[in-house]
Amino acid sequence: MRVTIPRLGGRLIPFVAGIAVLAVLPVVGVPKQGLLYLFLFFIYLALANMWNLLAGYSGLICLSTAAFVGLAGYTVAIGTWVGLPFYLGIIAGGAVATLFALLISIPVFRLRGIYFAIGTLVLPEVLKYVFLVWRPVGGLMVGRGAGYAVKGVAGVVLGEWYWAALAIGIASIFLMRIILRSKLGLGLAAIRDNDNTAACCGINVFQIKLYSFLIAAFVTGIAGAVFYSYSGYIEPIGAFTIRWLLTALLATVIGGEGIEEGPIIGAGIVVLLQFLLARYTGISLIIQGVILVSIMLAAPQGIMGFIRKIRTYRSPVTVSR
Amino acid sequence: MTGLAGLSTPITMGIFLGGLYVLIALGLSLVFGVMKLINVAHGDWVIVGSYFAYTAMTMLGIDPFLSLVMGIPLLFGIGFAVQRFLLNRAFAVSLDAALLVCFGISIIFQNFCQIIWTPFSRGLKPPYALESFSIGAVHVPLVYLLDFIAALVVMLFLREFLRRTYLGKAITAASQDRRAAQLMGINTGRVYAFAFAIAMAVAAIAGVLLGLTFPFTPTSGVSFLILAFGVVIIGGLGSMMGTFIGGVILGLAQTLGGYFLGAAAQMLVAYILVFVVLAVRPQGIFGR
Repeated sequence: MRVTIPRLGGRLIPFVAGIAVLAVLPVVGVPKQGLLYLFLFFIYLALANMWNLLAGYSGLICLSTAAFVGLAGYTVAIGTWVGLPFYLGIIAGGAVATLFALLISIPVFRLRGIYFAIGTLVLPEVLKYVFLVWRPVGGLMVGRGAGYAVKGVAGVVLGEWYWAALAIGIASIFLMRIILRSKLGLGLAAIRDNDNTAACCGINVFQIKLYSFLIAAFVTGIAGAVFYSYSGYIEPIGAFTIRWLLTALLATVIGGEGIEEGPIIGAGIVVLLQFLLARYTGISLIIQGVILVSIMLAAPQGIMGFIRKIRTYRSPVTVSR
Repeated sequence: MTGLAGLSTPITMGIFLGGLYVLIALGLSLVFGVMKLINVAHGDWVIVGSYFAYTAMTMLGIDPFLSLVMGIPLLFGIGFAVQRFLLNRAFAVSLDAALLVCFGISIIFQNFCQIIWTPFSRGLKPPYALESFSIGAVHVPLVYLLDFIAALVVMLFLREFLRRTYLGKAITAASQDRRAAQLMGINTGRVYAFAFAIAMAVAAIAGVLLGLTFPFTPTSGVSFLILAFGVVIIGGLGSMMGTFIGGVILGLAQTLGGYFLGAAAQMLVAYILVFVVLAVRPQGIFGR
């Protein structure tokens, strides 16, 4: 299937208009419940976009989303305990996640394919155990694991968190757009098609994969930091739970892996599912698992992939291409 | 008790505990060897095995080992069906798709266990679970010895099965070269399903011993998956002897880590060992 990438500035005006509408929502008095789900949507969108960048474009099945989210969340929380304001803590969270990604890239980038997947799956578990036995600041350990409240966020209302999430969600979309049209994106496409050939053509495979890994860690970290600043409390079992990964993965796979618009559709459906199944938390995860399995088996290209396929069949232009 | 005499207990326990990790890793290693797939749901299968034995013990009063008479066929059947109807289709798409399907199955089973058996920590406690025996200065719980013996028995059984029976030879052939095996008249789809089912049957045995040795919750599958993966990584994929040595090394790392750094750090030591091996020698200490 041939895919044409529109230019960087293409279809920009409706996009900007959409952002403007979304940005005024808290001002015009949208109910709190609605804002909360939109907040989640943008957080998930950022996570899914970054998962898509790694799995869909770089060929890295990275199962350590929770490690970046949890580390950044802990950075914000601990930052507020040592006197760092939370808005700086959010940036610091992204930085710490990136640093962590850089550090672990030494061992995990020696692994290929499925080994890489399992190597990264270990990371959140390791971090969970670290924070279960280690409490960096704030006195003795109470109960099981190091739990922290985020200080100094009491005065911030939901609307402002919503804007922060909107910013990171939209930024992740733009980032993907820019990356895919830059030299980095071309390199990634070459590597995905055939990494040996790409290496022979003078592409530094290791460097390009590392860059996309670091970018993904940074944005995932920022999204996690915003989430935990909003939720106001962090503890190891929740922070490093596999659900972060499940959400990012599900949103990407439902929407369409390796397709730019995929995560937008996918994140919307995941949030809708959470809204519909809010009362049945246990069953909700089972249903999400069932959806993941059935999408993988029935339509591995996801919804956007399916739509694209139909369009390709129907449009007469494809013949002349 | 200081020095060597004090160390002899954690060393013996570590070696015996390694048996449990070998048992958990054998299924993972078998599936990987045959299908080149790392079954992310393996830890959860083991936990399902533990819960099955737990239910049999509390509701019907059956000994955990006796309950395997039902547990092994049950997991064997589920494993066969999963491979036949889900994974074989996913393989047709790509290996990554199969991995994600396994991930989905893992989530489904985890939450299924959570709903049926609640998230509380459980353990299998038959009368002999609390007994221990001593050789000289070494005191070891009986279940640790059972872990070790079970690992040896299952390993020997699997080895003979793969070497001597038609199905075993067919599994080996399909793992070496799928196309060639197909040309020789082997139904590889069926062989894959059997290999997966056998791995699940081994997971049932591992589940019972896990339940006897440690308390478990519906979500502890992930940590045991990681330990099993560590065993496979340390030992090098595809070698049964390597798997055995890998298990013993991880068991030792855990008990010695607990001895020197305290009980809270013992899992951490094992995980860090896995990571160091990944960084230094990704193909495993005994891998080629």
